[in-house]
Parts: sequence; C-alpha cells; structure tokens
Amino acid sequence: MADFGAEFGPGALTSYLVVAAVLFTAGTLAMSTRRNAIGVLIGLELMLNAAALQFAAYGRFRQGAPDPQGQTAAVFVVVAAAAEAAVALALLFAVYRTSKDVDLERTRELRS
Amino acid sequence: MIETLLFWTCCLSAIAGALLAATVRNLFHAALLLGLSLVGVAGLYLFLEAQWLACVQVVVYVGGILVLVLFATLFSSDVMGALQRTPLWLRAVGTLGALLAGAVAVRLAQTAMQAAHRLEAARGTTAVADTIDGDSTATIGDLLTSAWLVPFLAAGLLLTVALVAAVATVQRFRQPSEATPNG
Repeated sequence: MADFGAEFGPGALTSYLVVAAVLFTAGTLAMSTRRNAIGVLIGLELMLNAAALQFAAYGRFRQGAPDPQGQTAAVFVVVAAAAEAAVALALLFAVYRTSKDVDLERTRELRS
Repeated sequence: MIETLLFWTCCLSAIAGALLAATVRNLFHAALLLGLSLVGVAGLYLFLEAQWLACVQVVVYVGGILVLVLFATLFSSDVMGALQRTPLWLRAVGTLGALLAGAVAVRLAQTAMQAAHRLEAARGTTAVADTIDGDSTATIGDLLTSAWLVPFLAAGLLLTVALVAAVATVQRFRQPSEATPNG
C-alpha cells in the first residue's frame, strides 16, 4: 500500500478486478436471495457484466502489449446476455400467464 | 486529476448500483439501480480504452436489456407494493454464498496478479500497459471478421434462435381464452 494511486488507480488492473469481484458478489447475492424471477434476472445480468469487465481488463493489461481480443470476448458476453434476457423474459411472461405470479418459490410448472 | 475523479465516480456507481440493486426491496428501484451499475461499467470500459465496447454496453445493456427488465417489472404483479419478503434464513444463506463467491473472485484475481508478477520478473519487462494506438474499434472489426468469424456467426445464430424461441414460448403458453378462434 505504498502508493495508493498506482495500486488502485485507473491504470492498475487491481481496481478493475475489485469492481468485478464486487459486481459478481452482488449478482450472486441477488440470485440467491430474490424470490421474484425478475430479481434473479437482475442478479444474472450483474454476474455476466462482471465477467465481461474482467475480459476487457485482462485484455488491456496483458503482459507485453494490450490485446484487443479481451474486448472482443467481452462483446460476446454482452451478446449472450442479450439472448439470455430475451428468453428469460419470454419464459417469465409464460409463467405469469399461467400462474399470475413470478414468485419462484411457488412456480412449479408451465402447464396451464 | 479530473480523470482520477471520473474513474472513482465510475467505480462507485458500478459498485453502489450493483449492491443496492441486489438488496433494495422495490424491484422497480432495483432495475433502475442495475442501470446505474451498467453505466458505471461502461465508464470503466472507456478507461480500458474500449470505446466500442462502452458503446455496445450502453446500447445493448442499458438500451435493450434494461428496458426489457423494466418492462417486465411493470408488467408483472406486485411491483411497488410489498414484494414477497425473503425469509431471514434464505437471506443469511444467500449472503454467505455471495461472500464466498466474492472471496473466490478475489483469490482468483490474486493468483492472476501473482502469475503476472512472476512473468514480469522472468521476462524483465514491466506489466504496465502501453496505450493502444488510438481507437481499438478498427482492430475489433478486423478480429470479428477473421479470427473470431466462427464465434461471430454463432452469436448471430444464437440471437436468431433466442428471438424465435422467445416468440414461440409466449405463443405456446397463451391461455385458451386468449387464443384466436381458428388458431
């Protein structure tokens, strides 16, 4: 902790990793404690976002020279998140139509 | 100076938005706080010299996914009122699990940093990042159409399948009373 700015500034890998770790923790917390399906989805998005941030950060601080492939991988994480959100919300609507509720504790089936 | 200030603002909004989105009772507020966190991460992408990724983050995440989540939040029941209370035991177990996940993430980061330092020592060069020359957007475009072409096409396929599946899912579980007479 000799130089706080060098260790945790915009030019240090550590700061991005800390932010990503906190984001992942918050996502896990939301996923495991929310009973509403939308809350779980929010947690999932947070976790995916943490993963994408790590890809970009590791690519940027790669040994030798920055590697844009980290950013490219992060773009694919965003794409996967978009596809996942679309399907998850469609399922949510289906559940809502059959049971008028999105409480995961009480949702057991999709058949009406 | 101003750069450092902006950096910490982005970090703070990303972290505070995420933690509050995970804990506030009101789901509508949680969705809005998720937006704050996503914008903070977009700012961090700018500091990582990933301008295009920051644009994608804002357009796809904030403009697309967040709007979908907000729409679903407003559509489903019990939005502003007493949302289902999480039992205390579940909250305790969830917090414990989340802390565990955070600890694993920190440990992994530590390992990666140590490996980087060892490499640095072995090669005799520093791990301080050089700046990417100008904009990395053109490089990403080249990568997407060369080395990453197959994943790129697969992503297109994935999005198409997801869209069709979403429509099919909603159609299939339509209630009998809502169904059209001849369909």
